[in-house]
Amino acid sequence: MRAQSPALAALWLTALLLGVAGCAPGPADLQPTTDALPTLAAVTLAPGDRLRVLATTSIVADVVAAVGGSRLDLTSLVPAGVDPHAFEPTPQDVRQVADAQVIFENGLGLEAFLGDLVKSAGSGAPVISVSTRIDALPAGLHPGEESGAAHAEWDPHVWLDPQNVILWTRTIEEALSALDPQGAPAYAKGAQAYRLELLALDTEVEALLAAIPDGQRRLVTDHEEFGYFARRYEFEIVGAVIPAPSAAAEPSARELAALETIIRTTAVRAIFVSSVVSPALARQVADDAGARLVTLYAHSLSDAAGPAPNYLELMRLNARLIAEALGG
Amino acid sequence: MSDLLSWLAEPMQYAFMARGLLAAVIVGVICPVLGAYVVLRGMAFFGDALAHIILPGVVIAYLLGWPLGVGALITGVLAAIGIGALSQRKEIKEDTAMGVIFAGAFALGIALLSTQRSYAVDLSHILFGNLLGVSAGDLWLMAALAAVVFLLVVAFYKEFLVLSFDPVLAVTLRLPVTFLKNLLLVLIAVVIVTSLQAVGVALVLAMLVTPAASAYLLTRRLPTMMLLGAALGAAGSVVGLYLSFYANIASGPAIVLTETLLFLLVLFVGPRRGLLWRRRATEA
Amino acid sequence: MAELFARPAPHDPAAPPVQVEGVSLAYDGVTALRDVTFNLAAGARVAVVGPNGAGKSTLFKIMVGVLRPTSGEVRIYGGSPGGHVCIAYVPQRSQVDWTFPVSVADVVMMGRIRAMGLFRWPTPEDWRHVDAALLRVGMLELRGRQIGELSGGQQQRVFLAQALAQGAELVLLDEPLSGLDVPSQEAIFSILDELRASGVTTLVATHDLNLAAERCDQILLLNRRLVALGPPAAVFTRPLLMEAYGGHMHLVPEGEGVIILTDTCCDGEEAVHE
Repeated sequence: MRAQSPALAALWLTALLLGVAGCAPGPADLQPTTDALPTLAAVTLAPGDRLRVLATTSIVADVVAAVGGSRLDLTSLVPAGVDPHAFEPTPQDVRQVADAQVIFENGLGLEAFLGDLVKSAGSGAPVISVSTRIDALPAGLHPGEESGAAHAEWDPHVWLDPQNVILWTRTIEEALSALDPQGAPAYAKGAQAYRLELLALDTEVEALLAAIPDGQRRLVTDHEEFGYFARRYEFEIVGAVIPAPSAAAEPSARELAALETIIRTTAVRAIFVSSVVSPALARQVADDAGARLVTLYAHSLSDAAGPAPNYLELMRLNARLIAEALGG
Repeated sequence: MSDLLSWLAEPMQYAFMARGLLAAVIVGVICPVLGAYVVLRGMAFFGDALAHIILPGVVIAYLLGWPLGVGALITGVLAAIGIGALSQRKEIKEDTAMGVIFAGAFALGIALLSTQRSYAVDLSHILFGNLLGVSAGDLWLMAALAAVVFLLVVAFYKEFLVLSFDPVLAVTLRLPVTFLKNLLLVLIAVVIVTSLQAVGVALVLAMLVTPAASAYLLTRRLPTMMLLGAALGAAGSVVGLYLSFYANIASGPAIVLTETLLFLLVLFVGPRRGLLWRRRATEA
Repeated sequence: MAELFARPAPHDPAAPPVQVEGVSLAYDGVTALRDVTFNLAAGARVAVVGPNGAGKSTLFKIMVGVLRPTSGEVRIYGGSPGGHVCIAYVPQRSQVDWTFPVSVADVVMMGRIRAMGLFRWPTPEDWRHVDAALLRVGMLELRGRQIGELSGGQQQRVFLAQALAQGAELVLLDEPLSGLDVPSQEAIFSILDELRASGVTTLVATHDLNLAAERCDQILLLNRRLVALGPPAAVFTRPLLMEAYGGHMHLVPEGEGVIILTDTCCDGEEAVHE
């Protein structure tokens, strides 16, 4: 047998493993709760120019747009429908990063690709994690571990709790105001208005979910993404098809077997999968365990014509779908 | 004893494990049957090349939303016949030609897949298999393909035998050599497609070659070589799958590792080639 | 693309078994054969001799239908080689894969493939034919052996048995005697005698000029072109041998006669266009 093939496969395996680092960046990148933003220098803007802002995911972009409004020239990196856990940037993306004056990321390890991207771009633009100040949950409590123990991984899916997005707006407002002091009043207004909408959303979602009886308030998802949602709206996370915070991981046979058992014994009615992930494996588990498969918008907005074109709609849709699947 | 039974039975209460087991056994049985020809005719590189050349077909099917098996089958058959035709040409060594196409096609497949922007999981499934995700429909397709392949091998057994043993004899006996050669290549392609879900593009060569190679060391008759190969292939699949369950490792690679260990066992510990046979002959 | 099964060519038992007319084979600027013309009568035993690279194997392959000549024509019993199943080619032992997992009986059974037809398995009738062929070559007790376990002479006989099972009327043997001891060579010749008695035409490519002279009716002296064809006494003359062998031969006088030393080793050099 030729030497090419095993070498080629090994090379790809290595590249794959390095590229798909999932949610395990170095500890230095992770500051789940910090008090403040790094000091930001104001950017000089010519009259008529807008601040060039890059947001990583579509959800982050949506919230930044809500706060910053027309003062911003906003682009987002991860297209709608693409899984940010496994996103692979292209050379075009490096250019976009280089052009930006500030970059807003979700943080907490969601954007595994960002560190190298920023280094390549070399523009020195500040990277702001909008999840600064959020009380982060550790990624999945594995059996035998105590909560509170130092964790290498955090659950990055903070946006599924509108209260966290309210905290986002404060961070965004602060950052934008520091970079563009002239726009500070506009940012304050935009942020305040959006916060009111978020509070209304929170109430609305709670009402929608109230229809689900206690016995059914259990979530099985495709990977560990609903931690914050569950905490806020009093659900129990029963299991995940991929017991990891990233959809780029692979469950072992035993983990799948354990999940199936749990679904059967707790009589869970539905498995919820994120719209950006291939549902094939989850579908098999759902079919075998006699549960429904429901697609939620957990990582990304839909495109403009779709059912979740902005964050508010996204949360409403998810709440409706969950209520429908589990309720009554 | 009941411990052992419950230990064996535990994974089987899960439908996905049972399906995975059936799929792995199908692959373990049909691959060595064609693998016998691959081993005897030194076609291992061809087999590997074919598996990798199938990648762009699978990716295109994936991007278009077609069943992956369809893309694989079409590409596989076309590639098999294409390589067959290419090997007739004189300008370039067959080895080199295959190497060039192999690497180019593989790169094309990955490039196409990368247009997806987040493709890591799907790529790893295509490369290393996704045995736990085998659906009932997949299983039926695999069984059907395996059955067709088996029937054709039986039907053309003696013709394939002559073609493999002595190509000049095949011409002398006026066998339809081009048709038979292409048919054999296509059958190998079909077997590779059948095995993609179990072990993936990168590892399917192992299922083609390793159990057949083990069988080659144990017997001097071709039919026995195929039967033994199928038995070893199936046994390795079952053990590998159980290993993946209890040791928490990926199933495709676990199966391949088991087959490799079996081969090493036969190589070092098994009766030396012909020895077992000779002993029988003198005793008879 | 060639049709699935070669149409059977007309087989005229009255026609000469071999008619070669103006056959040449050239490729890439190399001439393997040039304008070879000869006819053979049924039952003849012809030795094909010549130096390395003379084109003996090439000529055989053209006669069998494996190679196509660039010009000229070959007719076997009046038809082109392509349609006939009556031609058997016994390869040089070095060309055979002796590690292949087949037994003696399996190899002989291959000769019966056309008699069996498609999608058929060997019947007891077929095995009877195989055993009969093995008996004629004296290999019946070894029918179950894997072919790699045989001696050189035994291996040669297996392929002869295959030709018998095929019912061949024209048998081409490529270097059948090389590496065999005298008893084994005798065994081969006695089988060839039987073949001759049944009217089978045989061509034997060999380097052994003495055996060729003693045992064959005619000698075909070849060096890319036909140098001579005729009885040994007529062909093995100094001028003809010098013409064919050129520098590859050395004549050494010995008493009344002459010892001929030629290149006998190695089947290399002959450029064969597959």
